[in-house]
Amino acid sequence: MLDTGEIVSGILRGDPRSISRAVSIMETMPGSAERRKILEAIYPNTGNGQIIGITGPPGIGKSTMIGKLSLSIAQKGHKIGVVAVDASSPFSNGSILGNRLRMQDSLTSRNIFMRSLSTRGQRGGLSSTVWDTVTIMEASGMDKIIVETVGSGQADLDILGLADTIVLVLAPGLGDEIQAIKAGIMEIASIIVVNKIDREGAYMAMKDIQDMLAINSADGWVIPVIGTNALTGDGLEDLMGCMEKHWIYLHEHVNIRESRFKNTVAMDAKIQLDQIVQRSFQRALQGMETIPGKNGSPYDESNSIVKKTIESILKGG
Amino acid sequence: MVAGKSQSLFKDRPIKVLLAKPGIDGHDRGMFVLAKSFRDAGMDVLYAGLLPTPEEVVDTAVNEDVDVIALSLMNGAHLTVFKKVADLMKKRGITDIAIVGGGTIPDQDRPKLARMGITGNYGPGTPISTIVEHVKRRAEEARKRKLGLN
Ligand code: B12
Ligand SMILES: Nc1nc2c(ncn2[C@@H]2O[C@H](COP(=O)(O)OP(=O)(O)OP(=O)(O)O)[C@@H](O)[C@H]2O)c(=O)[nH]1
Ligand SMILES: [Mg+2]
Repeated sequence: MLDTGEIVSGILRGDPRSISRAVSIMETMPGSAERRKILEAIYPNTGNGQIIGITGPPGIGKSTMIGKLSLSIAQKGHKIGVVAVDASSPFSNGSILGNRLRMQDSLTSRNIFMRSLSTRGQRGGLSSTVWDTVTIMEASGMDKIIVETVGSGQADLDILGLADTIVLVLAPGLGDEIQAIKAGIMEIASIIVVNKIDREGAYMAMKDIQDMLAINSADGWVIPVIGTNALTGDGLEDLMGCMEKHWIYLHEHVNIRESRFKNTVAMDAKIQLDQIVQRSFQRALQGMETIPGKNGSPYDESNSIVKKTIESILKGG
Repeated sequence: MVAGKSQSLFKDRPIKVLLAKPGIDGHDRGMFVLAKSFRDAGMDVLYAGLLPTPEEVVDTAVNEDVDVIALSLMNGAHLTVFKKVADLMKKRGITDIAIVGGGTIPDQDRPKLARMGITGNYGPGTPISTIVEHVKRRAEEARKRKLGLN
């Protein structure tokens, strides 16, 4: 099934097989004409959903929370899509995509579309695949789209930069880790959650975070700190309320249409450039002089590779 | 526009497998052994959890666009339950996802399952390499179908 016309009409109808196949195209054919055709055709139907990034250290309870949240959000009449990024095993090429398991029950009871993406396997870079997937979900009529990442590494931070509302999930007993996280994600979080409030030290953790935040509350949005228990659902009603409030805040303070447009342009240009540069670079590498000293130092040779790469790009790849 | 000629669907994507026990069967040790083995063989592995219904198995396989569904049962219900999954796939016109089976499956049931398109049907003691090879072969077939090559 590679008929892009059929896939596009399927997406617009909300047909899971078409949505799913379209995501596979985004995953594995990032620079292709097919990808472009699909995105171009569905573009008029995108841009209205709230993209919610849920991030936090491994094992903190993100997937469990998303399972419960998506049920409650669906009950309020929204159509939900979930994308979860699973890290691949560094020791083999494969991975166990475990996020799905924790949400499975909610997903099926409400017929929610969920897709797992592994950190490898998509050739255009993780962030662009996630962005394209979100775009497809929006076009299919989903208006709340949840993205799960562990929030470490540049690709993850790039993805989070694309979300409208960023929920950072922490838990009691993280201690020093909270300090480390603070440097990266704390600044871009819209909402902070302390999950596992059934654990010891929950109150202290929430207070620590509130103290930290007191210093830097910018642009009129006061970052709420919410305690939750993802297993029982405690606090999730509160979290949903804050997500909704943030969405309203964004509509009042940010030109969402414009930032969506800018994100898409930047993301798409980057995918295309990556493709072009990689092709030319790989070709230039193949012509490398490997005999030490023959063309000077290794740095001379690397300069020559750079030059050849650029020349080849200018000649049209 | 960047030329897309050198790209083809699913090229370089690891084989994606959904492991499922679509019936009342709590024997999950084999599942974990298989999940790890498939991962170590370079595959992306999804596990549907205990007790998914045949509908849930098919929905998940579609959402995730997997290459292979690996069904496992130790409770003797494979002829009815595996069949339900195969029938659902047929009903929805899904031919580009392969189904393999395994667990405690008596020899005389294997041809019946094979006729439903469910192959492998390996039991206790099967070398992992045999299982992995089989899944790879079926995944390749499914990929060809996804690309409309047969
Ligand atoms: C351990 C075990 C248990 C443990 C399970 C622990 C757990 N969490 O998994 C416990 C004690 C809980 C248990 C309970 C029961 N068990 Co029990 N159990 C076994 C036993 C001894 C070993 C199973 C095992 O874990 N093997 C190790 C794993 C790694 O191997 P595996 O599961 O066979 O999987 C391998 C292959 O079969 C194959 N494979 C499996 N699935 C698939 C799928 C695909 C696609 C492929 C390609 C390959 C493949 O690859 C795997 C990896 O090598 C078997 C007997 C046996 N020798 O098989 C009985 C057995 C499965 N149990 C049996 C029974 C009847 C039960 C009970 C109903 C009650 C009872 N009499 O004990 C309950 C039911 C539990 C439930 N809720 O479902 C029967 C089933 C008979 C049948 N089919 O009609 C068996 C065969 C014992 C017997 N001979 O009577 N059991
Ligand atoms: N006690 C307690 N346990 C929880 C809570 N929320 C989640 N858990 C448990 O924490 C473990 C990890 O939960 P996940 O939902 O998989 O966490 P995650 O953040 O998605 O993990 P990764 O995707 O691996 O990063 C599971 O065993 C959950 O049951 C909670 O509020 N309290
Ligand atoms: Mg998770």
